[in-house]
Amino acid sequence: MSYTCGLLPVLDQHEDHHYEMSEYEGAKARWCPGCGDHSILTAVQRLLAAEQLVPEQTMMVSGIGCSSRLPHYMKTYGFHGLHGRALPVATGIKLHRPELTVFVTMGDGDCTSIGAGHWVHAMRYNVDMVAMMLDNGIYGLTKNQTSPTTPQGFKSNTQPYGSILPPLNPLEVALGITNASFVAQTAEWAPSHLYATLRAAYKHKGFSFVRILQRCPVYTPAIYQKAVQDPARIQLLVHDDGVVTPDLDKIYQSQLHHDPRDLAAARALAEQTETIKLGVFYRDPSKPRYEETRRVAPRTPAERVALLEKEFARYAV
Amino acid sequence: MSAASATAAPAPPKVLRVPEHTVEIVSDSGEGAQKCGQIFGAVSAKMGNGVWTVELIPAEIQPPPRVPEGASGNRIRLGEHAVTNWGDRTNLVIAFNEQVLLARHRVDSLADDAVILIEDKWARSEDADIVAQWDAAMKELSGKHYRIIPVAMEDQCLTIVDNPKKGKNMFALGLLARVYGRDMERIKEQIAHAFRKKSEEVYNSNVALLELGYHWAEDNIDFRVEIPTHAADKPLVVMNGNEAIGMGAIASGMELCAMYPITPATSVSHYLSEVFEKFGGIVHQAEDEIAACGVAIGASYAGKVAFTITSGPGMALKTEFLGLAVMTETPLVLVNVQRGGPSTGLPTKVEQSDMLAALYGQTGDSPHIVMAPATIEECFHIMITARRLAETFRTLVMVLTDANLATGVSPYPKPTLDEAWQAAPLDLAPVKEGQKAYAWNKDTGLSDRIIPGRPGGMFTLTGLSHDEGSKVAYSSGIHQHSSAMRSRKIAVLQSLLVPPTVYGEESGDLLVVGWGSTKGAIEEAVDRARKEGLKVSSLHLRFLSPLEPGLKDIFKKFKKVMTVEINYSDEIGDPYINEENRRRGQLSILLRNATLVDVDCWGRVPGEPLRPMSIVDAIRGRVPRGGAK
Amino acid sequence: MPSDPRVAQALAALAQPIAEFRAAVQGALAQADAFLAAQTADAVTQAASAAKSLGVFGSHLDAAKFAAMFPSVAKADKASQAALTKAAKILRSVATQGDDMALAKVSDGRKLGATIDAALAGAGQAFGAIIITELVRGGRYKAAEHERLLDPSEFRAWNNAERRFAPPLVVEVAGADLHAGALLDFADGREKIVLVVTGDAPPAALVRCITPGTFVLQTVDGTGLDRLVGYEGPAIAAFLPEGAATFMHDPTAGKEPWQRLTVPFLPTTPFKAVGGFSAWQMEQDVKMLADLARTPFAVPAVPGAKGAPAIGAGDAVDRIASWLLGTSGIAGNG
Repeated sequence: MSYTCGLLPVLDQHEDHHYEMSEYEGAKARWCPGCGDHSILTAVQRLLAAEQLVPEQTMMVSGIGCSSRLPHYMKTYGFHGLHGRALPVATGIKLHRPELTVFVTMGDGDCTSIGAGHWVHAMRYNVDMVAMMLDNGIYGLTKNQTSPTTPQGFKSNTQPYGSILPPLNPLEVALGITNASFVAQTAEWAPSHLYATLRAAYKHKGFSFVRILQRCPVYTPAIYQKAVQDPARIQLLVHDDGVVTPDLDKIYQSQLHHDPRDLAAARALAEQTETIKLGVFYRDPSKPRYEETRRVAPRTPAERVALLEKEFARYAV
Repeated sequence: MSAASATAAPAPPKVLRVPEHTVEIVSDSGEGAQKCGQIFGAVSAKMGNGVWTVELIPAEIQPPPRVPEGASGNRIRLGEHAVTNWGDRTNLVIAFNEQVLLARHRVDSLADDAVILIEDKWARSEDADIVAQWDAAMKELSGKHYRIIPVAMEDQCLTIVDNPKKGKNMFALGLLARVYGRDMERIKEQIAHAFRKKSEEVYNSNVALLELGYHWAEDNIDFRVEIPTHAADKPLVVMNGNEAIGMGAIASGMELCAMYPITPATSVSHYLSEVFEKFGGIVHQAEDEIAACGVAIGASYAGKVAFTITSGPGMALKTEFLGLAVMTETPLVLVNVQRGGPSTGLPTKVEQSDMLAALYGQTGDSPHIVMAPATIEECFHIMITARRLAETFRTLVMVLTDANLATGVSPYPKPTLDEAWQAAPLDLAPVKEGQKAYAWNKDTGLSDRIIPGRPGGMFTLTGLSHDEGSKVAYSSGIHQHSSAMRSRKIAVLQSLLVPPTVYGEESGDLLVVGWGSTKGAIEEAVDRARKEGLKVSSLHLRFLSPLEPGLKDIFKKFKKVMTVEINYSDEIGDPYINEENRRRGQLSILLRNATLVDVDCWGRVPGEPLRPMSIVDAIRGRVPRGGAK
Repeated sequence: MPSDPRVAQALAALAQPIAEFRAAVQGALAQADAFLAAQTADAVTQAASAAKSLGVFGSHLDAAKFAAMFPSVAKADKASQAALTKAAKILRSVATQGDDMALAKVSDGRKLGATIDAALAGAGQAFGAIIITELVRGGRYKAAEHERLLDPSEFRAWNNAERRFAPPLVVEVAGADLHAGALLDFADGREKIVLVVTGDAPPAALVRCITPGTFVLQTVDGTGLDRLVGYEGPAIAAFLPEGAATFMHDPTAGKEPWQRLTVPFLPTTPFKAVGGFSAWQMEQDVKMLADLARTPFAVPAVPGAKGAPAIGAGDAVDRIASWLLGTSGIAGNG
C-alpha cells in the first residue's frame, strides 16, 4: 500500500514542481509575539523548501503545548495528538509508512515529563525521524507551571517559592540511552545554527533528537537572556560530520572541534553546563533502525490465505 | 470412601456408557499436568468427542509445592456432541498430591461421586508433617462420596526412568488413555508434536511412560468410560480463544499488533509473535500500554487498521488515546481479554466486569462500537468484522472477550477463508477535489478518510474540537454538531444490525439475557430448566454499542427478563440492599436504560466460568414453578 | 527454477523489494478488479460482496442495507472504464510473472543496457497502470492527459517518484558482455541490480560504476549481497567467477573513496582478453580500483612491526601515527 501512495505525487505533476517556502505555510501562527517558536517554524519551513520535501509525504506530529501547535502552521500532513504521546504516534506512522518523512515537535513537559518513558524508548527504537524538543523551561500553554527543565529556584505558579529540584539535563539523559544515534542542541535565537542543526538532523538516518533552547517571552524571557546577550557564554561544537556555521564565527568565537562519533566526549560535554553548547553532540549512523529491523515482506491476500490454510492445518482435529 | 486394591487380579472392567464426562488433572505448577490435559483433550477431539478444555492456572509463576493455591492443570469436559462450556463438576480427577486435590475439593469442583486417582507416595513419606497433611486431607475429603484410588505413580515410573518427577504426566496420560479408550497412536502423534523441539530420546521415554500408565490401568482399574463419538461432518480445528483472535487478525488483513504484556491477553501476542511476520505483519511490544495504543493509532492513521490487545488495567491506561481515536475518527481495533477487577484483581481469572468501562470509560462523549464474541469460533470471525466496521465507520471498535474464552480450548468448524476479508478499505481512494478531512454526511455522520501521502489532502488531525476541515474550533455550535456527527454513526450502525434471535420459545415466563463467553453455559441451563417445565428462553447479545435492535419487542413477550453475567451485582435481600440502591449487573444497567424494561440481573464473580447448574438454580429462584408473577 | 544457483541466491537477497513491488502490483490489481466488477454489479451482487467482506460474524448485519449505505465505488465513465480494463490487464500480466518479473537475461546480439531497459520498461508500464487505477478510482482520469501512462516507458523517462520505487532486477550476462558503463544509466533512485556473470569476465569491470552515492559490489560467493537491500540509494552488484576482484563500495562508510571501499581480493596481471575487453583495459580497471582504495597516507610495511594496518581500517591520523612509530622503530617489538 505504501508503494501506491509513494507513487502518487506523479498524479499532481510534482516531477518538476519547485516548492517555494510559502507553499509549506499553513494557518497563521498564533504564538505570542516574541515567542521563540516563530523562529523554529521558519527554520522548519526553510528546511523543507531547501530539501524540496513533498508536502503530502511529510508529517508533522506533535503532543500538547505551545510548541505542539506547530503542525497547524504547516501545510503538510499533521497529527496534533495527546500530551506527551507524540512519539508513539510517530513510531506507528513510520512502522506502516516508512517512506513518509516525519518531524516531531514536543515541549519540555511533553518530552521530559509526561512523555519521558516514550522519549527513552523512542531513542532506543531509533526510528528515522527528527524529534525536536522545544525547551522553554516552563509550561506555557497552561500558564506558568514548573517543568523538569525549569532552572532551580525559578518561581512559577506551582512552585511559587522557587523550583525545588535542580533541572533535568535532557542531553545527559539522551546520551545515556542505549542505541541513541543523534543528539544535538541548538537555540532559537541563532537562526542559522538552528537551521543547520535541523538540516543535519534531517540528513541523519535514525532518530534525531534535537533540543532547541527557546525563550518564552511571557514566563521565561530571562532564563537564556544572559547567553543571548553575551555570546561568550555559548560554545559551538563544530565538526564536518556535525554542524558548521561559518557565518557565526564572528559572534561565537568560543568553538570546540568535537567529533560526534566520540560518545565519551559527548557525555562529558553534556555534563558541562557553565557555557551553553550548541551543535551535534553525538551521531552514529550505523545504529540499527527499528523500522528496518522490523521490516517484513508484504503479503498479498492470496498469499496470506494460502499460508493461513497451512496454519489451520496445524490446528486441525 | 473406598479404596481399590492395586494388587487384585484383573477382572473385566465395568463399562460406564455416558453422554458426557468431565476430567481434571491437577498438580503442582511445573509438573506437566497441563501438557497431559492438552494432549488428552486434543486426541479426544480428533476421535470425535465434543471437548471443552480450560486451564487451571495458579496466580503465581512458581508457587511453593504442595499447597492448594498452587493447583495447576486442566479440566476437560468430554461429550458425545459439541460441548459449549466447562460444565458443572468433575467426574474423574488425577491429582499429583493431596493438597492440589483439596484445592479442587474446596471450590466445589468435584462431583459427589467423583473418582480420584491420586499419587499416594505422600502417605508413605518419611516426613511426618507430610503424612499428617495427607491424613488431614483424607479426613477432609471423607465428607463426600468420592472413590479414591491410590496410585503409586512415581514408584511405577521409577521402574523405567531415573527421574520420575519429569514423566509422571505421561504416566497419568496413559491412565486416562486406558480409562477413556483413547487411540494410543494419536496420542503418540501428539507427544511427538509436543516434544518436536526435543531429542528422540525424550520422545521415547515419554512414550514408554505413557504405555506404562496404560498397562497399569489395564491391570488395576476396574472400570472404563465410554462416550459415544461422532465423526465430524466438516473439518474441525481446535484452539483457544486467544489463538483464534490472533488468526482472525491475520485473516482480516491487519498488519500491526501493538501491545504490552498483560494477563490474560498476552498469549495472543505470543501466538502472533511466532507467526505474524511470515504473514507480512509485526507485533510491536511497546514500552507501555499507552504507547501500544499510540503506535496502533499512528499506524491506523497512516493507512491500514492496526489493533491493540489488552486486559482491564491496560484498557484503563489507554483511555486517553481511545478518546483520541474517537475524536479524530481514526479506525482502531482494541481487544480486551477481561479478567477480574478492579485494580490488579484476579489476573488469571475470568470476569465480565469491564463492559461499562469499555462503553463509558473514556472522558467526554466518546461514542464507539463495542462487540463481544460468544464462542472461540466467534473470536476468530469477529476480528474480520471488527476491522471492517472500524474503517467503514471511522471509529474505535472494542472487542470484549474474557479469560474463559482466552484459555478455553474447543474444536470448531474450520473457517472457509475468503480473500475479501482482507479487501482494501473503502476509504483509500485518492483525495477528491476540495475534499475535507471530515466531510460529514449530515444525516449519517459518515465521512471519507484522508490518508497521509495523498496529494491535495493535507490537514492537521487534532484531538481538539474541530470543524469539517479539522480546524480547531471552540464555538459551541461546532462542538454540538461534531458531537452529533460522531454519535450518529452508532445509530446508523444499529440500523444495519439484524434483530437477535431468541434461543427457545419467543415468549414465556423468563428471558435470560447474556453476552460474551457465557452463551454455552446459559443455553445449557435453559435447556435443563425447560426440561423441568420452566418456560425459559435466552438471548445472547454480540453488539453492546450499539445494542442490537428490537430488544424491547422481544422483552415484552416475557413476564420477566434477567441478565446472567460474570460481574458483581447486589442481591435484593442482602443487608441494606433495596430496589433503589441496588447496584446491578452491567448488562442489565445497559438494557434498562435502552428499553425502560425492569430487567433483573444475576451475577457471580467466583473467579471461574459460570456453571450451568448455578444458572439453573438462579432461573429456578426467579421463576417459581407455575410461572413468574 | 533457475539453473544457476547464484541466480537463486541473488533473488533471495532481493526478496524484500521484489515482494514489495509484487504486493503493490497485486494490491492495485485487486482494486482495479473490484472497481470494474462493482461498475456492473446489481443490488444483489453488491449485497453479496458486502456480506463477504464483513465476514462470518457480519451475519449480525443486514448486508443489503450495508451495501446500500456504503456503495463500494462511484460510477466511472466509458473512457475511464476502458483505461482501467487495460491497466488491469497490464497488472495481471506482471503479477503472474512471479520472480520472473525480476529476472532478465542478456541474449545474443543484445546489449546489457538494452536488456535492462526492456526489463524495466515492463515495470514502468506497471507503474502507469497503478497510477491509472488510482486516477480512475478517484474519478480524476482524463484520457488526453493520462492515456500515455500505459505505454511502456523506459527508465530514462521515469520521474523521481518512480525511480524511488523501481523494482530490483537480476540479470544473467556473459562475461564478454559485461559493459559496466551501461549500468550507470540505471544508478538512480533506489534501483537494485544484481548481475550474474557467466564464463570468463573482465576482473574489475564494475569499478566504472563507482560514484559517491552508488553502492557497488563485486563478489564471487555472494558475500555482501545482504547489504544491498539495506542501502537507501542505487546499488549494482555482480556475481563473478572465481579469480575476479572482490570489492564493496559502501557510500555510507565514509566521505573519502578509501573509506568507502573495501577490497578483499585484487587479482594481478597478466590478464587475458575476453570478448571486446583487452588485457590493457582490464589492467586499467584493476589499477583504478587499487587507486581508489589507496589511503592518502600509504603505510609502508615495516620489518619488525606487527603488520601494516589493513586497507580501509582506522583513522588517517592513527595511520600517520602508526607509520611514524613504525619508521622510528618504537612500535611493536622494536
